[in-house]
Amino acid sequence: MFGKGLVKGLNVTWKEFWSKKFTVQYPDEQHTKPPRFHGKFQLNSDACIACGLCANACPNGVIKIESEKVNKKKYLTKYVMNIQYCLFCGMCVEACNKGALRFTQEHDMSQYFYKDIPLVFVDREAPKPDPETENKEKDDDKSKKAGKAPEKEGQ
Amino acid sequence: MLETIFIDIANWIRNLLGSAGVPALWNDTVMMLVKLTAIIVFILINALWLVYMERKVAGYMQARIGPNRVGPKGLLQTTADIGKLISKEIIIPKNVDKILFLLAPVLIFVPPLTIFSVIPFGKNMMAIDLNIGLFFVFAIASLSTLIFWIGGWSSYNKYSLLGSMRVISQMVSYELPMMLALLGVIMIVGSLNLSEIILAQESAWFIISQPIAFLIFFIAAVAECNRVPFDLMEGESEIIAGPYTEYSGMGFAMFFLAEYANIMIASAMTTVLFLGGWLAPFGLTFIPSWLWFFVKMYVVIFVFMWLRWTYPRVRIDQLLGFGWKVLVPLSLANIFVTGIGMYIYRALGW
Ligand code: SF4
Ligand code: SF4
Repeated sequence: MFGKGLVKGLNVTWKEFWSKKFTVQYPDEQHTKPPRFHGKFQLNSDACIACGLCANACPNGVIKIESEKVNKKKYLTKYVMNIQYCLFCGMCVEACNKGALRFTQEHDMSQYFYKDIPLVFVDREAPKPDPETENKEKDDDKSKKAGKAPEKEGQ
Repeated sequence: MLETIFIDIANWIRNLLGSAGVPALWNDTVMMLVKLTAIIVFILINALWLVYMERKVAGYMQARIGPNRVGPKGLLQTTADIGKLISKEIIIPKNVDKILFLLAPVLIFVPPLTIFSVIPFGKNMMAIDLNIGLFFVFAIASLSTLIFWIGGWSSYNKYSLLGSMRVISQMVSYELPMMLALLGVIMIVGSLNLSEIILAQESAWFIISQPIAFLIFFIAAVAECNRVPFDLMEGESEIIAGPYTEYSGMGFAMFFLAEYANIMIASAMTTVLFLGGWLAPFGLTFIPSWLWFFVKMYVVIFVFMWLRWTYPRVRIDQLLGFGWKVLVPLSLANIFVTGIGMYIYRALGW
């Protein structure tokens, strides 16, 4: 019959009019995120050994790491992620052996100013090396070398 | 009390002026100005509300919520939008006919305002009681087409021109079936006075005795208002925004609000002509007549919006073909059948 489709269409919109709405009122309510959500990064700076694996793994060169040698150990002085270039691919998180770098559930990383976008996790001075321990370590080193060298030669 | 509240207010002002010694002529002038101001305020508030309602209805029909941030429940959304549009620059492109270009958005509100002065909002509630009211309404309503044409022509833009040409062709082909459909009603009532048309529906609304006329009238009214599915004049996919293309800021907003004023007129006329105007159905007279009018009008407006968010736009050839090949013959047949029916009734002595 002519006009049947028109009535059918009206019926659809009429039903839809009374149906439940899908809109999530964003700031007030939010969708629950999956547990492995790739959100903002989190760095445990105590666990990080400044190995640079994460920076190497990143396809976009997002991660900038600076470190200094203190007492023969690498000391992390700067860890900055320029996340405006980040793909959130997760290579860096996967690369980290120490589990220092992690994703969080937070997704809101917008800023008013461009300069605020990079995530600065660590920006600190390296502590002054302790002369005593340093000397001791040097001595240890020397003795080790001295002790080991003959062995090597002997082999 | 509630029934006559507006008439009481009018009489009170009249008496106040009379007791203050104002001459009768001035008294009448002031009364007329008060009535017209009330109508203007009524139209503007309703237009603001209708933009909001349109967006809400659209949202609800698409499983969304619609505007809900500005003010309680988003009620101030349109106000904010208008505020924004007022503060925007009205850009006048090169080569436009400046005077006409600026005149069109100013004039666009004139026909709706004029029409509302003869529409009966309730029992004895009309600013002017014209005995050719119906004729007046449709004569003036067609004028708004001219203003769209002014806007489109002066814009010096092919899309504007095409859009306004479409307005005119649409008006020419749909005004005809609309009037022919109304002839059935006029034949039954024997009068062009809107109050008499309403009173003639005391026993049965004309939507029952003239269903075909109602359908034709309603379809033609949708087309006259340039609403979806007949909104060819601003078919975005083809001609950007039709006559509005070059308008910005408040110029655009005037056209936008006028569209809703036109919808109000179309639904008010549908109410008056086919839904019994301010007559209360089922003897529910404890609800004041103006409220009945208002409720019926808003039901029709809702149907307008319902149609808009259901159907896609038709093509221009389909539109004109439908108007000339379906609606015109159908309305002529309706007149014929109505005439025969009236003769039979008279012969039967009813
Ligand atoms: S998520 Fe990917 S792009 Fe972003 S910092 Fe890690 S490795 Fe680089
Ligand atoms: S891979 Fe892990 S431990 Fe190594 S520098 Fe990156 S965050 Fe630190």
